[in-house]
Parts: sequence; structure tokens; C-alpha cells
Amino acid sequence: MSTAAETRDGAGPFSQIPQIPCTDDCLLRPGNTNCGGCGMSIALTMLGRALEEAGDTCMLAIPACCGAVTAGAFPTTSYGVPTVCTTFGGVAAVASGMAAIRDLNSETGQVICWAGDGGTYDIGMATLSAAAERNDDLLYICYDNEIYGNTGGQRSSATPPGARTTTTPTGKREEKKDIVGIMAAHGIPYAATLSIAHPEDFRRKLLTALETRGMRFLLIHSPCPTGWKSEPADSVQLVRLAVSSGLFPLYEVVDGRRYRINVEPDWTDPADYFRRQRRFRDDEVDLEATRRVCRERYERIRHMAEAFPV
Amino acid sequence: MAPVDATVLAREHGLGTRSVPIVNTALAGAVAKLLGLPLEEMLAALEHLGFVGGNVDAARDAYRLVVVEGPVRKASAGNGDTRPRPAGRGPSFLAGAGGDLPGIKTGQWANEQPRRQQYVPPCNHVCPAGNDVQAFLHALAEDRTDDALEILLRTSPFPSTCGRVCPAPCMASCNRITLDGAVNVRELERYAGDRGEVSLVPAERREERVAIVGSGPAGLTAAYHLALYGYGVTIYEAGAELGGLLRTGIPEFRLPGEVLDREVTRILDLGVEAVTGVFINRERLLELARNHDAVLVATGLQELRALRLGLGEEETVSQGIDFLDQVRSGVPIGLDGEDVVVVGGGNTAMDAARTALRLGAASVKVVYRRTRKEMPAIAEEIEEALEEGVHIDFLTQPVAVQRMAQADGDMGEQHLVCRRMELGEPDASGRRRPEEVPGSDFSLPCHRVILALGQSPDLSVFPEGTEVREGHELLGLLETPVYAVGDLATNDGTVAAALGSGRRVAMHIHQTLTGEVVVTGEQTRVRSDVDVWHDEVIRDEALRMHLFERRPLAVGEVIDLDRRHTTFDEIHAGLPSAGEAKRCLSCGVCNECDICVTYCPEGVLKRVGHDLVFDYAYCKGCGICVTECPRNVVFMSHL
Amino acid sequence: MPVEVVTGNHAAGYALAVAGEANRFARGAACGIYPITPQTEIVERVAAFPFTKGRVVAVESEHSAMGVSIGAALAGARAFTASSSNGLAYMVENIMTAGFYRLPIVMVAVNRTLGPPWNIWADQGDSLMLRDFPWVQLYCANNQEVADLTLLAFRLAEDHRILLPVLVCMDAFIVSHTQGETDLPTQEAVDRFLPPLDLPHRMRHDDPKTLGGLIWPDVTTSLRMEIHEAMERVPEVFDECRSAFRDTFGREPGSALEAFETTDAETIVVASATVATTAGEVVKRRRAAGEKVGLVKMRMFRPFPEVALREACASATRIAVLDRDYAAGLGGVWWQDSRAAFQGHRDDLVMQNYLVGIGGGDVTPETVDRALDDLSGRDRAGGPVWADVGNGKGGPA
Repeated sequence: MSTAAETRDGAGPFSQIPQIPCTDDCLLRPGNTNCGGCGMSIALTMLGRALEEAGDTCMLAIPACCGAVTAGAFPTTSYGVPTVCTTFGGVAAVASGMAAIRDLNSETGQVICWAGDGGTYDIGMATLSAAAERNDDLLYICYDNEIYGNTGGQRSSATPPGARTTTTPTGKREEKKDIVGIMAAHGIPYAATLSIAHPEDFRRKLLTALETRGMRFLLIHSPCPTGWKSEPADSVQLVRLAVSSGLFPLYEVVDGRRYRINVEPDWTDPADYFRRQRRFRDDEVDLEATRRVCRERYERIRHMAEAFPV
Repeated sequence: MAPVDATVLAREHGLGTRSVPIVNTALAGAVAKLLGLPLEEMLAALEHLGFVGGNVDAARDAYRLVVVEGPVRKASAGNGDTRPRPAGRGPSFLAGAGGDLPGIKTGQWANEQPRRQQYVPPCNHVCPAGNDVQAFLHALAEDRTDDALEILLRTSPFPSTCGRVCPAPCMASCNRITLDGAVNVRELERYAGDRGEVSLVPAERREERVAIVGSGPAGLTAAYHLALYGYGVTIYEAGAELGGLLRTGIPEFRLPGEVLDREVTRILDLGVEAVTGVFINRERLLELARNHDAVLVATGLQELRALRLGLGEEETVSQGIDFLDQVRSGVPIGLDGEDVVVVGGGNTAMDAARTALRLGAASVKVVYRRTRKEMPAIAEEIEEALEEGVHIDFLTQPVAVQRMAQADGDMGEQHLVCRRMELGEPDASGRRRPEEVPGSDFSLPCHRVILALGQSPDLSVFPEGTEVREGHELLGLLETPVYAVGDLATNDGTVAAALGSGRRVAMHIHQTLTGEVVVTGEQTRVRSDVDVWHDEVIRDEALRMHLFERRPLAVGEVIDLDRRHTTFDEIHAGLPSAGEAKRCLSCGVCNECDICVTYCPEGVLKRVGHDLVFDYAYCKGCGICVTECPRNVVFMSHL
Repeated sequence: MPVEVVTGNHAAGYALAVAGEANRFARGAACGIYPITPQTEIVERVAAFPFTKGRVVAVESEHSAMGVSIGAALAGARAFTASSSNGLAYMVENIMTAGFYRLPIVMVAVNRTLGPPWNIWADQGDSLMLRDFPWVQLYCANNQEVADLTLLAFRLAEDHRILLPVLVCMDAFIVSHTQGETDLPTQEAVDRFLPPLDLPHRMRHDDPKTLGGLIWPDVTTSLRMEIHEAMERVPEVFDECRSAFRDTFGREPGSALEAFETTDAETIVVASATVATTAGEVVKRRRAAGEKVGLVKMRMFRPFPEVALREACASATRIAVLDRDYAAGLGGVWWQDSRAAFQGHRDDLVMQNYLVGIGGGDVTPETVDRALDDLSGRDRAGGPVWADVGNGKGGPA
């Protein structure tokens, strides 16, 4: 414990267990080739800590995405837990098979899908939806960097409006898909959004997800300095701004019906968020529309949280 | 051949990001020069490839900077593929990947590395007592109350006392002010002092004996430290009780006697002897010097400043210090129905005014010749005095006590004639000099005038012309070192300064007698894992204030106004918990919040014991640990 | 279990289920299932089976059906599924994955014409398009072969010398929906035939490994070589499995290829599945008439039994390869591989390709006769002959 509890993100409780071995037996091991300042790396280390805190273990199923490259080249690996790389669109099904055999053999440990936004919002949508509909006992974690990062930065349906990608050279026109809304609509036991800039909330949601049985879906806003064309050192601050400005609301949905907002935005002007990333150009981001969409999205969730509280 | 730093060039031209500069065009420029390509040709090639702006500039700079001397040797043959090849067929795919870490030491990617630094927090810098404020707050934040007290006792034997009466310059300099108000350090010091438990063990008893004249905060503090060093210490106090001005000059409702007793007892328990009712004059001082290995004179400021107000001074006008001492020692003083005027703007003025109220005065007015801004009293005490009903007339100078004789022979109401002042140019102290406003006299009804105009030292024990200041040896003809300590030496007037003086002189005596250099307090200890130690004070602009949550200052309960009018009960109840300590920003000092550990994407930043350990073999130099450290203790260092 | 009159699908579904159940004392069984005509009855039978330690996951696509099976196999379970036609096409990515991950998954494929346009009748073009993947492929001509080869497939696939998935194929409707007498082995006997699955590279917490990260070209080559070596061991292990099968069940499933009347045959028909059955009748009739004609019935397509094929055709000078499939731009798939088997060995052969029963058209004795008549008039082979074109037939009679 330390005085960190007083920082706005409540980073404190993580520091109760700071002596995470970052050697061979942790979830994400050193030597991985993720870019410096990678949000996914932070999320993986936080996942490892949460598992350790919960006294749980996991097997990872990873579709084609940066997370698959993270493993490194055979015969070495950066993952300290049993891991299988699956086809791009098929991760949830593979995980369902793994979970089925775990349960048949009365074994413990999580089966965790660790997938990017492309493998979740796009190509893996059907498979994910089916696993959710069956309420298979999986923890599906999407680290959302809003881009096909591994292929060099193409638009996905998670890419926010205004963002330049190699396939939206003048900025994307369409809104980001409401994946949590879609997942909640399946009535799964637990769905939540997470930000690495709010580690205490992040930790609590991971622990909640680890305790919950059935399909659990977590969406992590995952900064990508390479794709976002931002300073690696700014990674955490960027997603913090996304939360405070209302661009990425932090909330959770229980049983697809009951809502709770976890961090109230202070409505920081999103302009600062956009300015710090060269994927956005001033003339391609409609700030007014962004503010309006953020407000409306928040209001919609707030109404749900008031009418159907957790 | 002159090497060229492509990384620096790329950064200069804004190519890529700080931690991942894109060096391709800079390298292209350097290579073109090495190959002997004309500059124009290279630029044309880059233009053809679509490079513009910073990329072209970086290439041009690199081209310019590379100096080729002598013939260029051809690079030796080899495909440059250094990755290890499995022997023969290598392991079967069925074995799966595992065991060894990837062979890539990602630390090689870094062009900057994080390092630890430490600054001086402003509270520590300004504390006259030399307390390690940051450290004791850190201990309190972790609910280690005993540790907090232990940290305080390293420098000061009076945490419970200072936690009540210190003007707390630490709070005035607190970086948190710009966020949401200073940390309530004073109350937290009281919390630690009142609730912590520490048993002190002095060093092995030494043969040398030290005499201390005066048992005020300076004398007692010197005695405390000297006793801890192992000296035999005897205190000579002219009064009946130990404590000096802490005892006589501060009313119960601010500093209850038993609190002072407890802290004085802690000092005596170290083996300090005290002799009371003994006045040390010059002759006896010489005697002490002959009988001891060192003598400290800590007699403080004994001379009270007076003001000639004419008429009936004996009955009407008294000194605040004396007034407070009489009240405390139980001399019956009835002020029922009286109008009391207190002259002065310091804490004694406030204490006297508030004491007068408690004794039943019909009205209490303070007259002060400057404005509230210049008042030396602790701001909170001024506030409390006003709350209790004390009225303060600013820019007012008393002139004379007058009585208007009535026609019927009655001596009439007694008044204090006052004169309005205005502030002119700043004087030597930096404060604007009050100047009289002609024709502005007015009078206040007044049964009693209490003067609280400050004090000055009584130097009569020393030979004429002795320069009395801290660290200056007195009575130089004797072999025995004799030093002045506390207000006598510094004329500062605050308890905290007296503590600091007492501690410093104790260290100095120890050094003089033994040749041993000891350092007690003064600054936060430099931790073993700090790479760079800065001796400058860190200000709020160097902190990442956006990372801190706003949270209002915690204050303790205050007793009812009724009780404040009629009793001498301590008005502050103290903080119910040490939670306020969590507001400390720990400016420039690592408090093991481990946000950096939490956020390190590689998991290669570890807390081992109390140390931060960076595994540079794998650290990619992304810099998140720097931008996310709220207190600026991690910085990036160029490789 | 006594001989029953069941459909080919029933036989396949039963075999898959009892094989899965046989692993109940090990890590159990699981499969993903998804319907597609004409294999649906298979997964229905599997779904209805009362597994002691098995889980049937009804998924949203063939891709996921194989995905679930892959996951279950990775976790050490006996895994299987069934599909057909476009279902196989949709599943391709995961079919490939199962092979590269060396997972002993057994899949029954009911051969159906690829579409669109839509045609649900028999055509081997679907499973044969998977020819380049690391799967053993077996083709059945009747319900008994379906039951037997499906059971045998598990033992073959799970043998540590092999560790490759196996595809067991049958013709749509002609086998899948046609009832016939079939000896369906008892669970007890199947338990004896199939030892518990012990997958050496299954995922386990006590030995965390990563499967499927990045590999360099050298390791890729090594991986392919390992697959090739396992494939080369298949014929031998296949025969061992047949012997074991006979020891357990008292009958021996057919060999990788079956030679009929080939010893002195000058003309040989090469065919698979039900086309081979029909061709056998023609060969019998022509032999009776004194013609030196024989038949090679192919059961194993991958690995391709080229040595056995050359040996069976040692006396022949003319070979008719009947393909119920068409690989665009070249011709029949069986013909391509057969032709390659003789390359450099028998340059004197006239080997002609006949595309018969494409899209489920009837392959009658007359079809085979027309092919043999055509072949007898040739002194060199030509391009593939579309045997049924112009014979006035629409759908199957």
C-alpha cells in the first residue's frame, strides 16, 4: 500500500503486489517484440497480475493479431502461459472447445481469448456472437487499438471517425461499432469497458470477470503509438483523455440488463486527445459532432444505469 | 570517418516519435556520402521516392555531417543474418514453443533509458526544525503512525507541540496549494506526536557533560539531541517549570500543559537533569563553563518591548507574556465587563486577546498598525480569534491612555486614543512602512491595555560587545565551548526555528568535542536506487498535477464557540485519522506508489525491497514510467 | 451390436460417437457441429448420443465446428466433426490449421457438389480440393466401409507416428442416405480397439507452451518435412490398424487400394467410392466375356498410394481413370495424381481421364462401358472426356 491511492486513477492497490516476477513465469515475458509504449503489453501485464491476485491460471487463445506476434519466433515464446494462436476469425470457437474439455475434466483455470479489434469487431464477430449466445465459459478480452495494427494500420469497424488509416487516407467517415452494446444484447453475464489509465477499475473488472462464470467480454482501449502516430510515452495519458472526455466511457453491463458507469467523464475537451495523435488531422475531425456523440452515448448509458442499476 | 547520430537527427527533424525516431532518411544521407554519391543526386533520389520536408533535411544534415577520411573499405562479406539457426532440423514443431525467452534483448531498441532522480520537497526545505516532512507524511499515509513519530523524533522532540503551535511554513510552501490547498501538515504532525509510540534509546553514555541555560524549546531540543548522543546534560532554568515560552507564553486552549509535560518528560527520560529556580548570571555562566565540557545558552528573548502610553500605566497597561503566564499559573484576574485592548499583531497578541475573552471581558479589540496581510500571527489563529469575537483594528497605532473627567467629579471613562495609519514604502523588512495619517485620532473605550509588541534578547550575561549568533563561540577566552542557541542566537521567534537551532548546535557541539561529524535531519535521505540527486527544491510546475485527484483538505473538529468563550479547553480535537497524509504529493521523492511498475509495458520495472529496479536488457525506452510518474522521480536519460 | 439396416450417415454418426465415448476414461470427447445437406444426419446422431464424457457444441458455422474441435483436441480430447461441400470450403482455414497443428481430428465428409449454383448431389470436388492439406483422406464405397474406416481413422490419426487428421468420405445420397446392412460394432469392442488418446503436445498448465507463433523458413521447412514423414508412414500404420481392427472386430477393412482382376489385365479402370463399385460390375461382366480387364478401387487418396498403384497396374497398357470431380483447367484430380504416379516409370501407358457423374449424375455400367470402349480405340491419351455429356440425362434417375 502506498500513497498512490490518492492519484486520480487509484493506481495504488496494484502496488500491493508489485513484485511480479517479470522473468520466465509471468504471463508476458521480456523479449517480446511489441512496440515501445504498447497498450496491449500493459494490459497483458495487468492481466497477469490480476490472475496472480485471484490465484487463477489461464490458457490463452489468440487469433491473428499483434498478440500472436508477441509470442516471438519458435522455439522461444514470450508467453508464460499455455497459448495457442488460432485463425483470425475463429478464436472464440477454439476457446469453446478448450473450455469444454476443461469442464469435462473438472479442471480449473481460465480460457481467455485475447484478440484485437479486427478479430473481434470484424472477422471474428460471428464466432464471438455464437460463443456468447451459448454462454460458453470463456473470458473474451478485446484489446482495441482501433486499427488493423499488425498489417500496418488499416481501418476496422472499431476505427473512430476522422482517423486516417492506410485504407481511409482522408479520415474514416463512419462511427465506431458499439461492440459492448452488441455483446450486452446477448445477455451475457458480464461485459465491461476497461482503460489501462484506470488501473484500479481495470483490476476490479478483471477480478469480477475472473469470478464470473459463463461468457465474459472485456473491451480494453489499447493505445498503439505506431498506428495512432503518437508518442509512446503518451500512451496512458491518451487513453486517460479518452475516458475523461467521454470518448471511451468506462462502464459495465451485468447479464445484459443492468448497467453501471464506473468513471464519470469530466468532459475534458477531446481536442487535446486528437491533437496528440497524428492519425487525426484538424480538418478531418468534427469536434462538434464528436462532443455531441460522446454526450449522447454517455446519456444513453446513464439512462440505462439509472433505470436498471447493477 | 565521423560518426553521425541518426537518432538525434531524426528527432531534430520531427521524424517518428521521441522514443521511436525514424532514422531511414538520415541513414540514407550518411550512406550516400560514404558511397561518394553527389548530394544533388541523393536529394533527387529522395524526391523521386516522395520524401519531403524533415526527411530531406535529415538526409541533407547527415550527408553534411559525415566526414570521409581516406579510402572506404568495402564491408566484409556476410549476409548479416545473425539470428540463431537451429542445428540440423531443429526442434520438432510438436514440442511447441516454450522454455527460452526470445533471443531479442529489446533493451537494444532503446535510445533513452529511464533513471531515478530525487528533488527536495519544499516542505522539507522550509521546515525551520529540519523535519523530514515528506517522510513522516509517507509513513502516516501508510498508517505507520509509530514510524511517522520516529521520523519526526529524529529531528524534533516536540511533534505534539509543533503540531499545535507551529506557523507551518511547510504548508505555505506546499505544492498542493495550486491544486486544492496545502496538506494539513501541522495537524498530521500532531496526529503522529499524540498517537505514535516510540521508545528512544540514547547512545552509550559519554563522559562529557554539557550545561544548558534555559529550558525553552531550543534548550530542551539541544538537551534532547545531546542526550541521544550520550552526553550528560544539565538544564538550568530560572523559572519554576521547564518549557520556557512554550509553558508561559502559550495558553492552554492552544497547547495544553499535559501535552508539553509529556514531551518534556520524554526528554528528561533520556537522562537529562534539570535544575529549576536558578538564574544564571555572568558569574555563574563562567562557573558552568569551568565545570562542564560545553555550555549552551538558550535564554531566548527576555526583554519585552514597551510602549509609553502615559496615564496610569501601572494599573492599566500590562505585557501580554506576563498576562498569559499569570493566567496560566492561576493568578486570579477578573476582566468581567471590561473593555480590553491588545496592541500587536503576533501570536502573543492573539493569545492574549482570546485569553481576555475567556476571562469575561466585555470587548476585546486588537489594534495593529499594519494590515492583516502583514500580521505575523498564524493565519488560523487570527481566524479563530475573529470567530471568537475579537475585533481587530488594522492600520491603527495607540497613542495614549486618557480619562475624560466629568463635571460631577467622576473620573469618567478611560479611553485609548489611537491614530490611523497608512502603508508607505517598504522598509528594511520588506513590509510596507506604516505612516501616520494626520488628524485621524480617535479613541476606544478601554479598561485595560495589553502589549504584545515582541521581545528582544537579554545579553547581560555576556561581556559587552559579544556577537551573539548561532555557531559563534562565546566567551572565547575559555577553553570550554560556549554557544548561544535558539531565539537568543537567531531572534527568529518561532518554536520551529528554536528546535532547528537546538539541533544544529547539538550537532556542532558533538563535532567540536569528538571530531565526529553527525548529520541529523535536514533533508530526505537519498535512497540507494537514486541515480541523480538534485539539491534544488521541486515546484509544482515540475510535477504532473493532472495525475492527482482533487480532494479537500481534512481539518479536525473544533469545540463549540460557547466553550471557547468560557473555558480554556483545547479548541482543536485533532484529526480523527491520518487519511489527510494521503494528500501529500511526495514532491520529487519516490513514495513507492509503483504507478511506474503498474504501467511498465514490458514488466521489466520492478520494486525489489524499497528499490526500483529497471531491467535495461529489455527496457525499450518508451518513457511511460516518466510521463506517468506524478512526482517526477523518473526521467529519461540519453544513451 | 447386431447387423442393422442403416444409412451411411447413420453409420458415420454412430462410429464418431462411439469412438468419442471410448475416450471417456481419458480426457473425453468434443466436437463442434453444424448442419449441411447431406451430412446433417451425422451430426444429429452425434448430438443425440448420450456421452458419458463428451460435449457437442452446436456452432454457427463450419469454420467454428472445426474450431471447437481444434480447441477440444488441443485440450487433449478426442475430437471430430462432419461436413460437406460448401461447408468444407467455409471450413478450409481451420481444416488447414488442424493439420498443421498435428491434431488427430476425424472428420466425415459427405461428398457433395460445390456451389453455387446449388446442387446437393454427389461429387468429390469438395474433399479433393483439400488435397494439399496435411490430412489423410479415405474414400468409402458403402455403409460398412463408412463405419469401419471411421473407427479405424481414429486409431490411425492418434498413432504417435502419424498425428494427422483424417477425412473419411462417402458419396452424397448414394451412400449417405441409402440404407444397407451394416455391422455397427459394440461400444465394448470399440473401447478395446481405440486406446485412450494421449496427445503429446496438448496444452497443459504444468508445461506452458505456445503453439503457432512465428516460425522462420527453416522451421517451416522442418514442419513440412515432419508432416511428409508422417504421411510416408501412413500406409504401414494403416495396415497395422487394419490388422488390429480384424483382431477386434473379426473383419478387416479394405486396404489403401483394392486390385480386382488386375494380375494379367491389359486394361485397368481406376475409380473410387461408388463409381468403383459400378465399375467392378462392368469388369466382372467383361472378364466373363474373356476381356483382360481389371479394376483398381482407390480407398486412400492422401497419402496417394502410388507404389501400390504402379504394382497393381504392372501388366496394363491402358488405364481409364474415372473422376467424379473436376479440377478446373486440367481435369480429374484422381487422374492427375495417378498420371503422376507413373511418370518416369511407365511411359508406354495410355492413361485416359473420364469425368463421370459430375454433379451427381448417375454412373451406370453403360457409363463405364462407354469409357472402356473409348479407351480401346485410342493409341494415345487425350484431354479429359466428359463422359455424360449428350447422353440426354438430367438429374439422377
